[in-house]
Amino acid sequence: MSLFRTIRGGLRALFPRERVDGEFDEELHGFLEMAVAEKMKQGLSRQEALRAVRLERGSLEGTKEVVRSAGWESLLETCWQDLRFSGRMLQKNPGFTAVAVITLALAIGATTAIFSVVYGVLLRPLPYNDPSRIMAIFEVNTGGTWSRLADPNFDDFRDQNHTFQAIAKYSENAASVSGASQPTRTMISSISPDFLKVFRVQMMIGRDLTAADARKGAAPVVLASYGYWKQYLNSSRDLSQSHLKIDNVVFSVVGVLPDGFQFPPHASLWTPADLDGENPSRTSHNYYAVGRLRDRVAVEQANADISALARRIHNTSSEQSDYLLKDGIVVSLQDSITGKVRPALLILLGAVGFLLLVACANVANLLLGQASVRERELAIRSALGAPRRRLIRQLLTETFLLSLVGGGLGVLGAFSGVAGLFAEERENLPRLNSVSISIPVLLFAFLLCSAVATGLGAFTAMRATSGNVSEGVAEGGRGQAGSRSSQRAGRSIVAAQIAITLVLVVGAGLLGRSLMKVLEVNPGFRVDKIVTMDVSLPWAGWDDPKAKAGEAIFFSNLIDGLKKIPGVHKVGATSGIPLDDGLPDGIFLLMTQNEVPKSRDDFEPLWSQKQRIGTADFCVATDGYFQVLGIPLLRGRIFDDRDGPDSPHVAVISESLARDRWPAQDPIGHTIEFGNMDGDLRLLTVVGIVGDVREYGLDVPPRPTVYVNLFQRPRAAITVTILSDADTQLVVSAARAILQELNPEIPPRFRAFPEIYSASLGSRRFNLILIAFFGIVALLLAAAGVFGVMAYSVSRRTREIGVRVALGARYRDVLTMVLGQGLRTTLVGVAVGFVGSLALTRSVQSLLFGVTATDPLTFAAVILLLLVTALLACYIPARRAMRVDPMVALRYE
Amino acid sequence: MLPLTFRGSAFMTDKSSDLVQGTLDMLILKTLALEPTHGWGIAVRIEQISRGVFRVNAGSLFVAFQRLQRAGLIKSEWKATENNRRAKYYTLTEQGRRKLNSETREWERQVAAIARILEAS
Repeated sequence: MSLFRTIRGGLRALFPRERVDGEFDEELHGFLEMAVAEKMKQGLSRQEALRAVRLERGSLEGTKEVVRSAGWESLLETCWQDLRFSGRMLQKNPGFTAVAVITLALAIGATTAIFSVVYGVLLRPLPYNDPSRIMAIFEVNTGGTWSRLADPNFDDFRDQNHTFQAIAKYSENAASVSGASQPTRTMISSISPDFLKVFRVQMMIGRDLTAADARKGAAPVVLASYGYWKQYLNSSRDLSQSHLKIDNVVFSVVGVLPDGFQFPPHASLWTPADLDGENPSRTSHNYYAVGRLRDRVAVEQANADISALARRIHNTSSEQSDYLLKDGIVVSLQDSITGKVRPALLILLGAVGFLLLVACANVANLLLGQASVRERELAIRSALGAPRRRLIRQLLTETFLLSLVGGGLGVLGAFSGVAGLFAEERENLPRLNSVSISIPVLLFAFLLCSAVATGLGAFTAMRATSGNVSEGVAEGGRGQAGSRSSQRAGRSIVAAQIAITLVLVVGAGLLGRSLMKVLEVNPGFRVDKIVTMDVSLPWAGWDDPKAKAGEAIFFSNLIDGLKKIPGVHKVGATSGIPLDDGLPDGIFLLMTQNEVPKSRDDFEPLWSQKQRIGTADFCVATDGYFQVLGIPLLRGRIFDDRDGPDSPHVAVISESLARDRWPAQDPIGHTIEFGNMDGDLRLLTVVGIVGDVREYGLDVPPRPTVYVNLFQRPRAAITVTILSDADTQLVVSAARAILQELNPEIPPRFRAFPEIYSASLGSRRFNLILIAFFGIVALLLAAAGVFGVMAYSVSRRTREIGVRVALGARYRDVLTMVLGQGLRTTLVGVAVGFVGSLALTRSVQSLLFGVTATDPLTFAAVILLLLVTALLACYIPARRAMRVDPMVALRYE
Repeated sequence: MLPLTFRGSAFMTDKSSDLVQGTLDMLILKTLALEPTHGWGIAVRIEQISRGVFRVNAGSLFVAFQRLQRAGLIKSEWKATENNRRAKYYTLTEQGRRKLNSETREWERQVAAIARILEAS
């Protein structure tokens, strides 16, 4: 109540200033008039009475001032005064202001930009109802790696858990979809019926999937994303006429999801999983799983629950092998999406924090220089009665103004830069679309500015107001006494700057060396001049020989057609190109020629015989694929015309598989059984050995691979690889026309292989570029810091140097003195930074390749770089010192 | 008695201001409890009753008015004086009256305590 009145009174005093002032003037005036009248009654003249009243009661103006400064509103007023004064001070030193503001803008802008990404990707909750309760569920394998779930395992998790209120599986794959306004190649997610319940999504139009939709033989239905519905279904609210043809089956569109629902991230259509029945194997990991925790169930409880179920399956299943789950794990969906990029993002945040520190150190040094120039001004204000508190407030206001202006500019920069900065990372960074300069990010930026301002302000205030007033006034602008401690402070700041810069540059150096090492790696394939073309035929099921034969003919025709394009040298096809989505892996069996299996069951007893099994990636390819990618044939042969659909099936294996599985033998001529990968039980005879391919990235060791012939083992979805000298656009349009002619309902996707290659290095390059940028900026700032401190020191010591020269010091002595001083500071910084780097580079270990976190070469080079930079920065002030004319220097004083 | 010179209170140090402030407020409230009056009237009344011990300067007085008014202890309105001037008259509110009573009791308690201490020595 009374607080309210105080505020109201204050506001009234603050805003319609004239009215309140007028009223108060009148009252005060009346008061003084009455006092004068009283005095005049005692016989004084009016003049005398006025004088007496002024002495006894205070003057009109003085009283007004006192009354005005009594309310809280006066605090705002002095703040405003401080602000205006600060503005004037900053205006008077445009050089200082510009440098400080730009430095702060750069550092705060960079920090805000990185934070906006960290916030958007790691911290911002997923855009679903109560997202912290949504979990991802994985199987844990022998090696401790996590994998997708096999159908029977998922069913057990779903039916037997006690901790989830809804649990669902999903997968995602590209398919050709027709029946809408135009045929599209679209990502389709197969989901189990509770999928949308996990996310608590309400349909925008139509209905959710039901358990009946997922039953084998049910009428096929599909859900569409808002985007797909708008673009390809004409935004029609009546879905009864909307049908889509996927894999030669007509699906009815029964529901449209609301705008903004995007999970799995690329899916546009959702269909019920298992329309043709579940896969009974407990080792075929085909589905991801998500679940929503029951109320009041902690993640740990769910984890224990799923883990117990998983171990029970492991202990009781008949399918004992390395591919059977060992354990189960539950993590929050958000962590499972962003876990991979978390370390890199946190490292970037740390790096930009270091840059911020270096920048603040520079501004602190600038302020220190300013403060010593202003010693006299502060001393005079203090002598005139300004309390220390008031001076500190003034200095704080100045640093606030500086950092708010700098921060404001920086945030504007971040605002325009953050989108462009990360555009290239679109493929590698999940949730990039949730990155923006949002309220929390702005709040962060503001807090950052405030922290910077408080730190800098406290620092200057401490340095500037600790002095003795009379000394300060006497000393004026030419003083020596206060300068020693302020120079020591300046040098400590510079040493700290050098230390932090060293850590940053070492980090950048290690990342740079890693990238170089990665680029030195022989990937095992050619990259240039290759165009890839993804084609998805309708899925024909596992064992429809006629459909498979049709696929083989289709691809044969397609490849023959493509070969005729002018400029095209070779054409191949594969189930998966390197550096893309990877290949499926599995267990194969070593067989002999005369073992002719009749059914899957015949293999069962063999699975448990360790000497008869091996593991490898499974790749379907044509002979042309090896030629296009330049994968070398080491021994034997690759596929050729002998290998028709009905002749004995053959396989080519990779060098590392030959070495691992047949260490003392020649694998050529051996037979294997790998039918669990594509449902074809015919034996494969090894006919050739090819070079290793780094399928999963240049920094991942090549994996043992079995290649089978596409024309013997056709599949629906393949990637065609085209090697040509012709212009990519021409090849693409010609290839599109050829496919169109063969089947107009199959939209292809074209990509340039060099771009896929480049994208695979994207994260590594991106991290390097950012950290190197931070490192370079820090280096420049540190150099500026060294320069500033040395220049200041030389200008302060002009007289001393003059005396030394007059007494016979040679120029070299002066040079050595100044450089030596700079070098001492630098060495302290380097020593501290060296120790800091040893401790901190361990955190970037996960981003390194081919170098250790304490790589001596990198450390030596970076230390040398810093020393040279610091010496160069000292050299200019040192030269100025050398040129000191003793006559001038002594007269100057 | 307490050293109460209000002149130059603009530069008054923080040390004694609490005591002084509270005391002046109490004196103003007491004066207004007798009858509503304007600023000069209050100053004169305090001076008269204290037989010239307290001479209140304008600055302190008006700061106190502002403070008391914002705290809701007094209210003001413009009226004509007996000499036909316009002046702002201050009146004690009910809240102010309660405050005065409690302050007076507290003051008396303190004075009695101090007196006992002084007598004891």
